[in-house]
This record gives sequence, C-alpha cells and structure tokens, in this order.
Amino acid sequence: MSNDVLIRLENVTKKYGDSDAAAVNNLTLDVHRGEVLVLVGPSGCGKSTTLRLINRLIEPTSGTLYLNGEDVTSMNPSLLRRKIGYVIQQVGLFPHRTIAENIATVPKLLGWDKDKIADRVDELLDLIGMDPETYRGRYPKELSGGQAQRVGVARALAADPDVLLMDEPFGAIDPITRDRLQNEFLRLQQDLKKTIVFVTHDIDEAIKMGNRIAILREQSEIAQLDTPEAILADPADEFVENFLGSGAILKSLTLMKIADTELHQVPVFKAPVMRDKAIETLQDSEDSTSILLDADDKPLRWLDLAALNRTSQPIEKSGRPISVDLQPEDTLQDALTAMLQSSVGLAAVTDRKGKYLGCCTIESLAKLLVEQGAGK
Amino acid sequence: MTTAAITLRRQRTPLAERLDLIVTPVFAGLLALLGFAVWLYSDIDATTSDILSYENISRQLVQTIQLGFASSLLVVIIAVPIGILVSRRGFPRLKTALVDFLGLAQALPAYGLIVIFFTFMGTGLTTVVYALALFSLLPVLRNTIVGLEQVDKSVIDAGRGMGYTRLQVLLNIELPLAVPVIMAGIRTAIVINIGMAALAFLVGGGGLGETINSGLKLNRGPAIFIGAVMVAILAMVFDFLSALAQKYLKPKGI
Amino acid sequence: MDFLLSLWGYTSGRFDQVGQALIEHIAYVVSVVGLASVFAIVVAVATRHNVFARELSLAIASVFLTIPSLALFTIFIPLVGLGFAPSFIALFLYAILPILRNTVTGLDGVDPSVMEAAKGMGLTNSEILLRIQLPLAWPVILAGIRIAAMLTVGIAAIATLVAGGGLGDFIKSGLARLPLPNSLEAIWLGTILSLLLAFAIDMALKLVKNVTISRGIR
Repeated sequence: MSNDVLIRLENVTKKYGDSDAAAVNNLTLDVHRGEVLVLVGPSGCGKSTTLRLINRLIEPTSGTLYLNGEDVTSMNPSLLRRKIGYVIQQVGLFPHRTIAENIATVPKLLGWDKDKIADRVDELLDLIGMDPETYRGRYPKELSGGQAQRVGVARALAADPDVLLMDEPFGAIDPITRDRLQNEFLRLQQDLKKTIVFVTHDIDEAIKMGNRIAILREQSEIAQLDTPEAILADPADEFVENFLGSGAILKSLTLMKIADTELHQVPVFKAPVMRDKAIETLQDSEDSTSILLDADDKPLRWLDLAALNRTSQPIEKSGRPISVDLQPEDTLQDALTAMLQSSVGLAAVTDRKGKYLGCCTIESLAKLLVEQGAGK
Repeated sequence: MTTAAITLRRQRTPLAERLDLIVTPVFAGLLALLGFAVWLYSDIDATTSDILSYENISRQLVQTIQLGFASSLLVVIIAVPIGILVSRRGFPRLKTALVDFLGLAQALPAYGLIVIFFTFMGTGLTTVVYALALFSLLPVLRNTIVGLEQVDKSVIDAGRGMGYTRLQVLLNIELPLAVPVIMAGIRTAIVINIGMAALAFLVGGGGLGETINSGLKLNRGPAIFIGAVMVAILAMVFDFLSALAQKYLKPKGI
Repeated sequence: MDFLLSLWGYTSGRFDQVGQALIEHIAYVVSVVGLASVFAIVVAVATRHNVFARELSLAIASVFLTIPSLALFTIFIPLVGLGFAPSFIALFLYAILPILRNTVTGLDGVDPSVMEAAKGMGLTNSEILLRIQLPLAWPVILAGIRIAAMLTVGIAAIATLVAGGGLGDFIKSGLARLPLPNSLEAIWLGTILSLLLAFAIDMALKLVKNVTISRGIR
C-alpha cells in the first residue's frame, strides 16, 4: 500500500443477520491522504453504513480495514475511534456539559494535561469563528443549529486526528447557513489538510465539497469514483447520469472558471464620448451593445444604439448600469447569472483592481460546453 | 413536563401488557400455595381455627369487597370531573400546583387519615369509605390531569379546525385519548382501596384486616400469615380484573 | 383554636417521644429509599439491553405495590419476627417500583444521537453509561426517588401495627385511648408530623436536584 493511501477498505462485506442480501458487498475503497472523498448515492444504498465501517461503529462481516498501512480490523474499537474524528447530522453534543467540556472530550480520554486541553479548546473555538470567552462556558441548548454543528466539528478535530468522518453533517441545517458552513469548511480544509470521508445524498454538495466523489449504488457498489469534473463530463452509465440529474450541465458550470473561456471584446468608449463616432463604431461592429468606461477603465454602463441615440440625456446617464463585478477566477455559473441579470446577454469581466478585461457571452459559454461534450 | 408525566409516559408495550396479566396471577397462585401449606402443616389450634372460621372470613371478604367498590366508584365520580375542570384553559397554574401537591400528598399516611375521619364521623363503613375515597382520589385526579395534558395538541387543533366545539373536542378526542392514563389511575385507586380496606378494622369497619389483627393480638402466626395472604390475593385479583378492563377499554388504534 | 392549643400542649410535653418517633420514621425513609435506589438502579442498568428481563423486573416490582400494606408488613412476621425487620422489608419492596420504572424510562429516553456521537468518539460502553447516560437520566431517576420517598413516609405509619415504631405510634396510641383526653391530639400529631416530614424531605430532594443536575439540562 503506497504511503499515499491513508484508509483502505479491502473486500469489506457487511451482512445483517442471516439474510443473503448484504448492506455492503465486497467493497474495496482507498482514501488518499489529504483528500475529501465524498460518498454519495440514493437513500438506502449503504453510504452511511460504509462510513461507519471505517470507525467500526458497524463491524464488517468480512474483509480488512487498514489505517495508515496498519490492519485495524480487530484492534480495540474505542481506541481506534479516538484517533478518528466523527461528525453526525444531529451533532449529538452532550447537553449536560459545557461547550468547552464537549470539545475536550477526546483529549481528556487520551490523557492530555489540563493546560494543553484548555489551550486547544480556545484554539478550536477561534478556528470555527466563535469567541472563546463567550462560548466556552455555554451549554448546547443555548446554541443555534449552525453553531451547534460548528462545535460538533471542533469537537471532532480536538485531538487533531488525521481522519475525519462526516455523516450528512449539514443535512439538518437551513440552506443559507448550510452554504456558509460549507464555505467555512472548505476554507478550514485548505489550512488543515485533513483526510475526510464525507457522506451526503445531495449531489450538489458532493460536487462542491469533494476532491473525489464515489457514486454508490445499492449494497454500496461503486458506480463511479472520480473527480467531480470527470464525472460530470463523462458519466459512467445511466445510473450515474440519472443521479446527476438534468442539471448536470449547469452543475458543471460551477466547476469552470471564466479564465477558461475566451473573452469577447465589445466596442468600448471612454468619456468624453462623441456620439456620432460612437454610433458609427457600434453599427460597424457585430455587437449590439457597447460599454462605457470611466477614467480608471472601470466599466460603467451598457450602451446600445437606442441609448446612444437618445440625445435628450447625457451619455453618462444613458443605457443600463453595470453592477456585477466579475473576475477571471469566478465560476461560469456566476458569469451566467450575471449575464441573465444584465438583460443584454453579456457579463463584463474585470481584473482584481476593477479594470475592464473583456466580456463573457452566452455564445462563448455554449461553445465551451459543446467542446466539453464533444470530448465525451 | 412535570415529573408525574414523565413516569406515566412510558409506553405500554405489548410485552409489558402481557407480562402484566401473567405475573400477577402467578404470584397470587404462589401465595395461595404458601397459604395452603401453612394451613395444612402448621399448628392450628382452636383459637386459630376460630379466627379463620368460615363465617368470619366470608363476612370480612364481603365487607372488604363492598368497601373497595363503594370507594372506587365515589372516587371516579368525584376525581375525574375535577380533573377535567382543572385541565380546561384558565387554570394552568392551579393545575401545575395541584399536580405537584398531589405528588407530595402521596405521603399522607392512610392510617392517620382513616383514624381522623373516624374521629369526625364515628365508626362504621361510611367513615372508611370516605377516608378511602379521599386517599385514592389523588392518583385518579393526577392521572386525569396528566392524561388530558399528554393528548397531542395537533390532534386537538385538527378537531377544532374541523368544527368541533370545545365540548365535542373533550368528549370525542381528549377523553378517549386520555383513557389509558386515566384507567391506570383508576386501577391504582382500586388497588389502594382494597388495600386500605384491610385497615377498616381499626375503626370498626370490619374487613379481612380483622383476621390479621386478631392473629397479632392473640399471637397466632398462622392466622397472621393466612390473613395476610388472603388480603394480598384479593388485592391481586382486583388488580388483575382492572388490568383486563384497562386492556379492553383502551380505544382501538392507540 | 382550642384544639390547636391543646395539640401544642400535648406535643410540648413529649418532645422526647416525638423526637424518638421522628428519628425512627426518618431512619425508615432514609434506609429504605437509599437501599431501594441502589437496588433499582443496578437492576435497571443490568437489564438495559435485555427487553424481556427488564419488563419482567418491572412487572414483579409492580406486583408488590398491589399488595396491601398491612398484608405485606405482616406476611414476613413468621420469618423475621416483629419490629423493624418486617417493616423494613415491606417498605423496601414498595419503594423499588417507582425508582426502577423511572430509571428504565430515563435511560431509555436519552437522545440516541448523543449516544451515537459518544460511541463514535471512542468512549467505551461503560464510559458512555457512567458519563453520559446516567447523568442525562438522573433528573427522571431523581423524580422516581421522590415518589418512593413520599410513598415510604406515608406507609411507614403502618409500622406501628407490627411494633416497628415510627410516627404511627402516636396514631395508634391515640386510637386506643379514644375518647380519653389527648387521644385526638395524638392522632393529629402523628398525621401532621408525617406531612411535615414529607415536606422536609421533598425540600431536601429539591436541593439535591439543583446541586446535582447540570445547568445544561434543567
């Protein structure tokens, strides 16, 4: 086993009782060091079961489990679990203990000394954006859903495990908070670089959070295991296609950046604008809309022919204002949203300082998607 | 959730129900066997057999049963309406105070109560009936209150939303759904009443307690034991019958 | 009013006796509830994984409560004689059910996701029981102990009938001497003191509740 593989489930099967039907059937799965591997699939496919086989909350009927190259199939399960962080949907904070005590649970079990624990608790509270002074002594019942789940994550990270298991952690949270938590989590992972196995039933969440995604069928059979881009570009079979849903194309837009496309150049004008010359330039070009820049080359307004012709108003007040600020690092989904909002079918792209670079058009998007599709 | 509600909320699983109907008869049977063994194998002298004579025992048996029934009936007639009344809106604090007090009131010594009633009302069956009624009022009252409280508010809401008046909601929804808990209280009351009826002898009310008492006074072990066994078996018989009633009066579907 | 005065007169002449009876009564309550709590909690914990054993224990414990107090107090006399022993045994058997039932309910009622999180973090089964389940079930258990205590205070009055002492002594002696002077006072004294004792014990248990239950679950 290469050093790269941190967790390995080898030929793992789980059967309940006498039934022949296995919940997990002869699964072999590698989790690479430092990656976020998302297990996703329809309800009942066994993804939660698979996750809980890793920390042996469910014991395999047969097969081997390796952690960091070591066979941990028969080691003392409690000791194993103290090395692995575990986050569940309902969080399960201990209601009779303070937040600090909750977070300190595993370090205490491992025998850390008091000062080290206190420091670690404060460190983690800072990390999840909750002021230690305020929250250390509070009780779980005083927290909101989002706060509780953050504490749940902090609790899982307390003993600094290499591995984190997360079972639909954001499932019980409202969409706005969930989005925020997901972003925070991704940011955290950039710093901490833990190895994470994440279970969700939401394909969008999987695409957003995962370095690799395993799409699971019943009995936890792997339908496809690959990066999100690869899966979206090339679904392995009808099951995966159906699971991705009809929004696959739109979903893939979240994975591509504006920098991947060619920017289109429309006519641009800077004050002072000579109306007749401008009208002529626009009519000669292939475009129907032009852009007015300010002195710093920042895009101000969309100007079409009608706007240019409206002599009753000064140029600076004609046409429509450009409000959205897009940069090459933004996703094509953001670009598409901006295009739809602008009502001219264009999105203006600037650099970090706001200087105009070019435009995204529907045509360039479509072209890119067709190229992606053609690569199938 | 009041502490009383917590203890009563335990679901009666099918297993619990079945065991309930089995364990009591088994126990009663064992006691009966023991009683018989004592009757056959111990030294029954003249005094003892006098205490245990057929006339005495049957008289006392009838007295005890009469007492038990009368007081239980009285209790249900009084306690359930009061419980219902207190549970209506407008009395929430009275209700909580009452339930808490009723928890405390379990500590009332029945013995003392009977005697006190006796001092006011003289000897006889009526005294005992009233004393027993007061004492066993408490579980029925408490269970009525708690039973009504634990009815799912959304079911009540649905009923009112469909056009039931408050009275109709009470009769068609709340009471039927509260019946299991209320029945549990009535059952407790019946058992208490039969049990306390054994103390009726203290105030001239007769009952099987007399046998035990005679045994104590005349120092006849077998009489004491057999008397106690009979009282116990009688209580268990009533408990068993109440359990059957509880099972068959439960609305279907709960 | 007159009666209250004479009640007070009766009592103040007998502080020794009152003290004695009170101590005996308290001794019953404390020893019975203490032992019954330990017993009931141990049984509940031991049977927590086996539904049948648990339901059987509950059924047996509830049978004892159906046995009338006079019967249960006297039924053991041939075995252990009169006095403290049969009284203690009877009271003990009565006290088991409320505590057992509440402990079972309490342990059952702990949020499963809390238990799952605890197990997933690597707590062993006994650590989960001692540090998570029992503390979280404690409020309900304590409620059961309160019921048992109230029950014991009330029924312990019967001990007097088997020469077991306690506050019932006043009631008995009053009854025996009716309608002689001070007989009524004796009866009331026994009854009222029981109530006061119950109240005091209730207060004490409320104190225990506030001290031992974590703020997080009140």
